[in-house]
Amino acid sequence: METISDRPSHYDKLFRICHEIAQLPENCLDITIDFNYCEFLGHTGVAFLGGLAHLIQARGGRVSFNWDSLRSNICMNLAQNGFLYHFGYGSSSWDGNSIPYRYDLHYNATALGDYLRYKWLGKGWVNISSGLQKVIADNVLEIYLNAFDHSQSEIGVFSCGQHYPKLEMLHLTVIDFGIGIPTSVCSLPQNVLFTAKEALSWAFEPGNTTKQNGISRGLGLNLLQEFIAKNHGNLMIFSNNGYVAIDDNGMRYENKDINFSGTLVNIALRCDEQYYCLASEVPSIEEPLF
Amino acid sequence: MNYKIYEITGEYATDADSGQQVYDLIHPALLAGNSVELDFSGISVFASAFFNFAIGQLLKDLSPDTLNKLLKITELSPNGYSILKRVVENAKHYYSDVQYQNAVDTVLEEYAASF
Repeated sequence: METISDRPSHYDKLFRICHEIAQLPENCLDITIDFNYCEFLGHTGVAFLGGLAHLIQARGGRVSFNWDSLRSNICMNLAQNGFLYHFGYGSSSWDGNSIPYRYDLHYNATALGDYLRYKWLGKGWVNISSGLQKVIADNVLEIYLNAFDHSQSEIGVFSCGQHYPKLEMLHLTVIDFGIGIPTSVCSLPQNVLFTAKEALSWAFEPGNTTKQNGISRGLGLNLLQEFIAKNHGNLMIFSNNGYVAIDDNGMRYENKDINFSGTLVNIALRCDEQYYCLASEVPSIEEPLF
Repeated sequence: MNYKIYEITGEYATDADSGQQVYDLIHPALLAGNSVELDFSGISVFASAFFNFAIGQLLKDLSPDTLNKLLKITELSPNGYSILKRVVENAKHYYSDVQYQNAVDTVLEEYAASF
């Protein structure tokens, strides 16, 4: 395991490792994870590493961690966020700037909603009202719903977060190891010729969805995009070989060289109420709804 | 008829399955011309999937005028209302535009049949 911060180039390292492991035959999946070259392991690296370990195990392999190779600061962080405990080493997590590592095989609204409200947002480091915390949870749950509804990830969904006090930012990464958004979008006959970035762009259009079945759907990503843009946060999505970044400069779609079989979403929010939308932006309840 | 959504979903009204449960409760009553009130008190968090199934799909066979007359939404938070409003706009477009709906559903059926 190398140093992993929140730079896109560091994410590429993770996707490369995942790709290399996916190429290994099933009888070569006795893997030891060593941290000698890892000087920093950000929350994205933590969530990804957890997912990777589950992926190897799901293929019949065995994963062991060389915990002795961990630097003390990383070891402390992994203990605090519960990663060590999850993999059978050390005691359970405790409160700090790390938001707990989390693994969900199925969608559980209460468990995920509580995680977002009390473990991610509600620890006193975000200067926002409880009403706004609920609004943020509404939007971030859309990420989880997308992962569970569309990814077909057989090993579930992995998350981890981090509070960066100096930057006054709060991050959360959600990763699935499913088919990926471009694969899903391009499976529709009218989209087969899309590149990955075109497929991601299609997925962000309101009303576009790969699941319809007579029900109008396809708002989740669009709502999320509007939320991020209004509130000056940022969002990165890596899915197959597509990449989209949303920040104050707008939306940028790219085709990447590295293919990740799954979807990684990192959302970063500002920790101050002044960046969020005003009550006056909410539609009037007096108008007819339909 | 008054339905307390909290009794179906708990604090989090987010997923399609619980939305479908609400739809199954209210759709026959609305079709029969009865008034329905959905009380959202106690709900903290919403997601579009819930509203797509609970309310958006009512527009399949009930007109906006009928729904404005028969369906009353109470105690919904401003953000919940904001999401619901978007869901309704999306559903109105989907269900009113037959050509659009057929185009979307046809490609999905072709896709399903290709397995």
